[in-house]
Amino acid sequence: MAYKHFEAIEKHAGLLGILIAVMVSLGGLAEITPLFMEAHSLKAPPGVHPYDPLRLIGKDVYVREGCYLCHSQMIRALRFETQRYGHFSTTAESVYDRPFQWGSKRTGPDLARVGGKYSDDWHRMHLMNPRQVAPQSNMPGYPWLAHDTIDAADVQARMRTLRRLGDPYTDADIAAAPAALAGKTEMDALIAYLQGLGIRNEPTATAGTPTTPDDAPAGTGGAP
Amino acid sequence: MSSGWSLWVMFLVVLNMGITLFLFLWGPRAKIPTLPDGTSGHVWAHGVLREGVRKLPLWWLLFSASMFVIAFFYLYLFPGFGNHKGALGWTSHGELAKAVAANEEKLDPLMARFRLYPVEQLAADPQALQMGKVLFQDSCAACHQRSGKGNMVLGAPDLTDNDWLYGGSGKDIVTSIHDGRAGVMPPWASLGEDNVDNLVQYVLSLSGSPHDEAKAAAGKPLFATCAACHGADGKGNQAVGAPNLTDHIWLHGGTVADIRKTIHDGRQGHMPVWSPRLTEDQIRIVAAYVYHLSHPADASSQ
Repeated sequence: MAYKHFEAIEKHAGLLGILIAVMVSLGGLAEITPLFMEAHSLKAPPGVHPYDPLRLIGKDVYVREGCYLCHSQMIRALRFETQRYGHFSTTAESVYDRPFQWGSKRTGPDLARVGGKYSDDWHRMHLMNPRQVAPQSNMPGYPWLAHDTIDAADVQARMRTLRRLGDPYTDADIAAAPAALAGKTEMDALIAYLQGLGIRNEPTATAGTPTTPDDAPAGTGGAP
Repeated sequence: MSSGWSLWVMFLVVLNMGITLFLFLWGPRAKIPTLPDGTSGHVWAHGVLREGVRKLPLWWLLFSASMFVIAFFYLYLFPGFGNHKGALGWTSHGELAKAVAANEEKLDPLMARFRLYPVEQLAADPQALQMGKVLFQDSCAACHQRSGKGNMVLGAPDLTDNDWLYGGSGKDIVTSIHDGRAGVMPPWASLGEDNVDNLVQYVLSLSGSPHDEAKAAAGKPLFATCAACHGADGKGNQAVGAPNLTDHIWLHGGTVADIRKTIHDGRQGHMPVWSPRLTEDQIRIVAAYVYHLSHPADASSQ
């Protein structure tokens, strides 16, 4: 490589731009591509099931209302996080989350394992007006959810779409959705979703993972 | 990571480091055509600015060289080069395990001391109370308020009044936290609207609250149904969590409207199960803090 090659690159902005783009993208190609490709072959661990119809629409309400803007669902592998929130989150727990709700923005607390921590009534009051239970809270209320009803056919369409993407819903699951959603509001759905977060999904301690006091599987507790 | 992707990462790391290292080694040696005035001939602003040809400063060369040395050592010591785990064996989960172990080691003597005392006595230990307060604020305050005064709209009991639904001994409090509680007041709308109104007045009379004598008298025979849980005298039953109706303490509110709603529609109380979230030691510490809320004198007399 002689000086004239270097000069050619320096004097042709298009070529310079392309070569800069190549160099800058090397890091992304190394860090993102393998994880992105391997994520598609990730299998759900035992205890992680696709969302039932009520929780599924609850998850979509959660996304629609932008809960993720203030609440993460990712407990990091740091002591002061595992001590407060429980076992750190794993990728396999989120295989049925589309889109996943990990996040890094916490105006409110992390919700990855909030299921069972509060009663259904608490969640209802809290979502209607958070100040009723937490006087210092700056979270907005979501009172309209209490009278927003759920369109069962819409949920069935979502389940069929997710099945196409690989979620193991059976025809019977989809057929049973209207019965499971009868008389439910979006508030009920969101509470069902929140109460299911993390309860049965805590990974059991394996070799190499630390056993914190909060490690104990939560399978028995909390579900009202 | 599969070995294929591992090779992919290794290839990209070598490519990136190789290109930059080549440029670093070749750049200072490149022969740059120089004009007699010592510039490269590149001009800007019609010749006002001209590009000089100078050697790179030594500090810059040494600094850049050190970057390569650090990068090689980093990839040798830490994970980053494909599946190579790094000579130090560093993992974030390992760091967590170490942090947890160090924390437990620090707290062990304290916990060992706390285990020696029953909850009632622990409630007089300032260190236990300090720890209990933090746990209470994080876990319990959402329903019972930071002050422990409870939330009447939710039906979360006041923990500062020494009036207990399920018993106020240290053991009872530990059980309430460990296993949770589910309180159920069945709805009695089936009695009929007038009977419910009469019962409301009778219940008010039990605590000597202002009430309508005639209606209370009419409601008295109906209370036999309620006596199954609340007792014939209305003093409640801690075995089933039925509140005492003769004190002036109301779980769901003591107005005529509140009591009417309680009898007519029933009430549900739900204390979550805390055993999956708190350790046995932590539960005893929280119980001690809760016990202290209604026995402040015990704490100050120690």
